[in-house]
Amino acid sequence: MNKKLWALLAVLIAFMLVLGACNKDTEKGSEGTKTEEGTKTEEGKEEDKEKEEEPAADDSALFPLDVTNDGNAITGGTLKVAMAKDEPFQGIFSYVLYEDGYDADILAFATNSLFETDGDFLITDKGIASMEVDQASNKATIKIKEGVKWSDGEPLKIEDLIQPYLIIGHKDYTGVRYDADFQNIVGAVEYHDGKADTISGLKKVDETTLEISFNKLSPAIFSGGDGLWTYAEPSHIIKDIPVAELVENDAVRKNPVTLGAFKIDKVVPGESVQFVANEHYWKGKPKLDGVLVKVVPTSSISVAIQQGEYDIVSSFSASKMQEIKDFDNIDVLGRQELYYAYLGFKLGKYDFDKSTVVTDIEGSKMGDVKLRQAMGYAIDVEQVAEVFYNGLRERANSLIPPVFESFYDDSLEGYKYDPDKANALLDEAGYKDTNGDGVREDKAGQPLEIKFATMAGDDIAEDITQFYLQNWKDVGLNVTLTTGRTIEFNSFYDKVEADDPEIDIFMAAWGTGTNPSPAGLYSKTAQYNFSRYSSDQLEQTLTNIDSPEAFDPEYRAKEFRAWQEYMAEQAPVIPTMYRYELVPVNKRVKNWNIDYANESFSNLQDVELVSDTAVKSTK
Amino acid sequence: MEKLADDKLIDLNSPPTGIQVIFREFKKDKLAMFSLISLIVVIIGVFIWAWLIDQETLMRVSLRDKYAPPGDKFFLGADQGGKDILGQLVIGARNSIAIAISITLITGFIGIIIGLVCGYFSGWIDNIFMRIIDFFITIPSLMLIIVFVTIVPKYTVTVFILILSIFLWPSIARLVRSKALSESRRDYVNASKTMGTNGFFIIFKEIMPNLSSILIVELTLNFAGNVGIETGLSFLGFGLPPQTPSLGSLVSYASNPLVLKEMWWVWLPASIFILLMMLGINYVGQALRRSADAKQRLG
Repeated sequence: MNKKLWALLAVLIAFMLVLGACNKDTEKGSEGTKTEEGTKTEEGKEEDKEKEEEPAADDSALFPLDVTNDGNAITGGTLKVAMAKDEPFQGIFSYVLYEDGYDADILAFATNSLFETDGDFLITDKGIASMEVDQASNKATIKIKEGVKWSDGEPLKIEDLIQPYLIIGHKDYTGVRYDADFQNIVGAVEYHDGKADTISGLKKVDETTLEISFNKLSPAIFSGGDGLWTYAEPSHIIKDIPVAELVENDAVRKNPVTLGAFKIDKVVPGESVQFVANEHYWKGKPKLDGVLVKVVPTSSISVAIQQGEYDIVSSFSASKMQEIKDFDNIDVLGRQELYYAYLGFKLGKYDFDKSTVVTDIEGSKMGDVKLRQAMGYAIDVEQVAEVFYNGLRERANSLIPPVFESFYDDSLEGYKYDPDKANALLDEAGYKDTNGDGVREDKAGQPLEIKFATMAGDDIAEDITQFYLQNWKDVGLNVTLTTGRTIEFNSFYDKVEADDPEIDIFMAAWGTGTNPSPAGLYSKTAQYNFSRYSSDQLEQTLTNIDSPEAFDPEYRAKEFRAWQEYMAEQAPVIPTMYRYELVPVNKRVKNWNIDYANESFSNLQDVELVSDTAVKSTK
Repeated sequence: MEKLADDKLIDLNSPPTGIQVIFREFKKDKLAMFSLISLIVVIIGVFIWAWLIDQETLMRVSLRDKYAPPGDKFFLGADQGGKDILGQLVIGARNSIAIAISITLITGFIGIIIGLVCGYFSGWIDNIFMRIIDFFITIPSLMLIIVFVTIVPKYTVTVFILILSIFLWPSIARLVRSKALSESRRDYVNASKTMGTNGFFIIFKEIMPNLSSILIVELTLNFAGNVGIETGLSFLGFGLPPQTPSLGSLVSYASNPLVLKEMWWVWLPASIFILLMMLGINYVGQALRRSADAKQRLG
């Protein structure tokens, strides 16, 4: 009997050990993913979102830019904002660290932005800070208003303006913003390499003035480029937190202090963020009591809108327009977005130690420029835009979205659907079907399998993906999905950024930010240069775009054109679609404006509601 | 010769055999009979029809036919990608049934062997296996299945079947073990043991036939459950690989409110098919269960 019991006990203990081991393994696994997520990237590099302003583009006439509803405003109330999105949000509430456009959308309610911009996305002196540029000596002087306070009551200091530079430039910095632009600040590289304790180019002149020295200046400085950082960080709080741990700290994840109209009250990770009015807001306390931002699955967003559960919906996909067009409880606002979707080809790797792109044209499967061009010609983007997006997206012809009117050039050819041309290019390049199975082999006659990574999105993502695969198959290319299925947003960018060998080509998108300079996305040092393509000519053009000569708008436009043509010719990325942004607004909201020149996000203190309860649709 | 004589003898004097009982039960229960016949017809029909369809042509996305209503071009209309619903329904049904059959057979095979061995030998073998089974039963299997499905790199129908099988055998094993445990205490087993028959022979030639009626019932009802599990997972988006037609993914179109309200042809046929097939299998299963238990028999 005793023996039996012992045996049983032994078996049990053995099992517990096995289980315990399992446990440890899983924990490790999930931790691993988390850190990877930390260094990951995004759909929208919407750095300057807060300051976006833009005269309405021509076809904005499709939808109005603003809405005003009648009725007496109630006092207080909570504005409910839905983010149409199928994954949890990351929840990095810090401008120096956040990585995706969704976090930026949330941060827009609690922004630390220093500047405001005018209709051309140029910095004005109406914001917290104003800037004067001295082109001759490559210096910018930033003056802040007196009496501006953080949401915890601490006054804004010059140290708060310097703090973000010290974080981004730090060698332990885990984010993605230490790039060519940033190195343009005098002393940034020395600080990054640990040779200096501080960045020598940043000089505190007095309690309200900061002087920044740059290696060179370009017109980009006026739209917040050239390494200028346009957000403040609360140095009194995060000064003492080690930079490497910042991304996990509560000051970033749970209760960041802010200069914005609202401050974060409660975060349900990945699900929702509750804001309350910031009584210290420098433009005056907001009329609303608070804002609730919540993630809503794309499949149920239309019903939620119908029931009036949300006042404003962000990231609303044009493919759902059909479902909400009859609702009478909303107004749909629309504007051209600072956005393009693209097809990228992996042409190298990123050396994370040296922070530089290593292009390897010869060694990569997609090295042949004709193959890349053929893949661009082979996909029928026009039909997808028309059928699935009801014409609210259009084929992109260049890497500059039409919003930037002075640099966008509609005379550029781009890649239009032309399977014959694709076939001809492939034949020319030597990709021939040698064994008669209808699929092309590579130049050496070996089977060619191209691995395609794409994001899982709303319910149409799957069909669109299959449609493109089919398009490529029609020209004889065997394209298969990396991992065999579409990939969830966050892990998609993890894989793309890590140069996963399973990815040959990928389809992604950029929210471009208000600075049209492409250096942050395509320069040799940019981590965001996902296709890992770089060449001397490209570097030269990028430098020219941001050179002092570019203060002459004509010269700049010419270089932009040269850059766009070069990118189209080399095709390391092929732009596919521009997007029209739709914002359904419930009739309960008294006023809302998405005109880039006069966004409600810059004037959140004036937003009001006209009733306590939401308006339901009668249809 | 001898066998023939045996049969006759049984016909006259002995109590009816299992097959006869089942047959009589079905003859009494018209609904079960009808279900059985239609199930057989549908399953065979679906397999032949699906064999005639070229899946690649069927799954070709044709954007212009997005949500085409039933009509000349598509008998049951088209889905979001302009793919024929009828063809997807047939292949989807074939896939669901084939998967359910494979899972039932695999889990049945593993479960029955382990159950019988545990029940017969008891002692430490039983202890070890029962702890393993307890472990499998306590973990939230659905969640783990979903995790497995997402992390497997080369994801195919076979992999899907194996993943499901890993988590579904313990319940069968447990049932069989409890029956085998009481069965192996019977006199005939003891007698056989005393005569020196080897354990293997006793388990599969002597005990198993005596459990066969329970096994058949259990496997039939499991079959219905497995169809449900496959369609359910596909509905959630964790089932079959994309581009493999499935009943579950057809039904999941209904999660789009516009489709639910206005494009009934996309999701309704698949839903009705699942409903009827489940009902059919259940009626058959119940008839089998009754015939396995003398107290419940109708015939």
